[in-house]
Amino acid sequence: MSEATPKIRIMKGAAPDLSAATYQIFDETHTMGNALRWMIMKNPKVQFCGYSVPHPSENLIQLRIQMFDGLSSLNALLEALDNLDGVCESVEERYLVSLREGRYERWEEKS
Amino acid sequence: MSQPYQSGAPSAGGADFLPRPRQEMEYICADCGAKNEIKSREPIRCRECGHRIMYKKRTKRMVQFEAR
Amino acid sequence: MSQGFDPKKHVALNPERVSYTSSTDFPGHFADEDHSWNPAEFKKRLAVRVERISNRSIEFDLVGVDASIANAFRRILIAEVPTICIERVYVHNNTSIIVDEVLAHRLGLIPLHVNPVFMDCVYHPDGQPTDRNTIVFKLCAKCERRRNAPKDAKDPAQLYINHEVLSSQLEWVPQGEQSIVMAANPPAPTNPNIVLVKLRPGQEIEIELHAVKGVGKDHAKFSPVATASYRLLPKVILKKEIPPHLADKFQNCFTKGVIRVDPRTKRVSVDESQARRETMSREVYRHPEFEGCVQLARVRDHFLFNIESEGFYPPERLLPEAIKVMRSKIRTLREAAQGLLQDIGVVEDVEMAS
Repeated sequence: MSEATPKIRIMKGAAPDLSAATYQIFDETHTMGNALRWMIMKNPKVQFCGYSVPHPSENLIQLRIQMFDGLSSLNALLEALDNLDGVCESVEERYLVSLREGRYERWEEKS
Repeated sequence: MSQPYQSGAPSAGGADFLPRPRQEMEYICADCGAKNEIKSREPIRCRECGHRIMYKKRTKRMVQFEAR
Repeated sequence: MSQGFDPKKHVALNPERVSYTSSTDFPGHFADEDHSWNPAEFKKRLAVRVERISNRSIEFDLVGVDASIANAFRRILIAEVPTICIERVYVHNNTSIIVDEVLAHRLGLIPLHVNPVFMDCVYHPDGQPTDRNTIVFKLCAKCERRRNAPKDAKDPAQLYINHEVLSSQLEWVPQGEQSIVMAANPPAPTNPNIVLVKLRPGQEIEIELHAVKGVGKDHAKFSPVATASYRLLPKVILKKEIPPHLADKFQNCFTKGVIRVDPRTKRVSVDESQARRETMSREVYRHPEFEGCVQLARVRDHFLFNIESEGFYPPERLLPEAIKVMRSKIRTLREAAQGLLQDIGVVEDVEMAS
């Protein structure tokens, strides 16, 4: 992968086994940053996770992950992404069920 | 922000505008609104009412803007 | 019924400050609690309930997710669900009193009824317009005097033809395959009654408009919502009995319906079903006689969403669209992370080989 701007880049200073690494994620904001941070922190193998938007004029976020026992932070990231997708799936499913049941108030709004 | 329209731009552009050969410019009287053709070195004065303020007409050239 | 205040579940509202604001449901936070991610547990707690729908807004409850997830949906609704808007304006003639720049900006803000799935995004502003990424409108209007207007008429509508140019006068010019693809729902403004320009006799406008697909983070005109917001469910926690002679005064400290007072015994209780109506004015905290009687709080994982649609999407379709965007973001991130994983494998192999 030698594109001009990769989606994710591992920053200098990461542990060789990736047990501690900072990922630069391009074209992402607090939207994904905070959601990912939360899901990664739900992983008991994670020692620390935090994210930042280094500067508002740079369209990227930095995600720091540190793992226990020399485990790979990249695997934790992938796992969190899968879990997050599961969250979205469940929320959508429940929402559509509620919509289908139709137990809500209908009203008319003038525009 | 906005630039003057460059020819050969969008597929659905307008009619091509060719600058007409030098002609008398048409002006509009600020008082009575009559059309006046004024040649160079002619007095600036409305033929209908004698008013001395004239408006230049808007360009016929198409201008492109960003809707922002 | 209402239990006591639980700092793990509730955010406390005190007279001058809030406390227990952060989530603590992480592994390692409490010595004897797990809190690691558990899909089954999550699904058990998760609830989505649609409460109210109108023709242009929706209210629903999202229970059992963290603020970061609720906030992601809110942010995506505002900034990343794509819609179609006028982006380029070609002014052939405009002798109205609105200058071209201002008129162009005004036209850009018109919400259009175009299904975004029929369109591709153009990311390059100089990219070639095609029938897949651009919708063309024409707006031509000329104001004239009405011949048979009554002598004493003062109303411009009686005096002139086209004294107001409305959004309904935007004329769609189908390009290429659009006349077939979009025939069922021809592109038009969602509201036909927006006044775009006012004209007087002799003034005219002749404009061509190009609409493209975009997202709210590029320009607010592309946002599919007027507002998308959430708040936490209010909770009133009674800590001790309210003296019967103060019951009515206590009730009046809250929004109507939130506090019930038994007409005979004057016993005070909280109507949990009405809790969402509480304004959280903190009026009770102003009266010394109620000190220590009550704790105002909010439920940390119970979000009351309110979304107002503006533009193409009916309100009930907005959340699914936002989730679709979020999942596609997750997918791109996943692919990139997977690629990184493979790259690292390759690098290690090379290092071992050398």
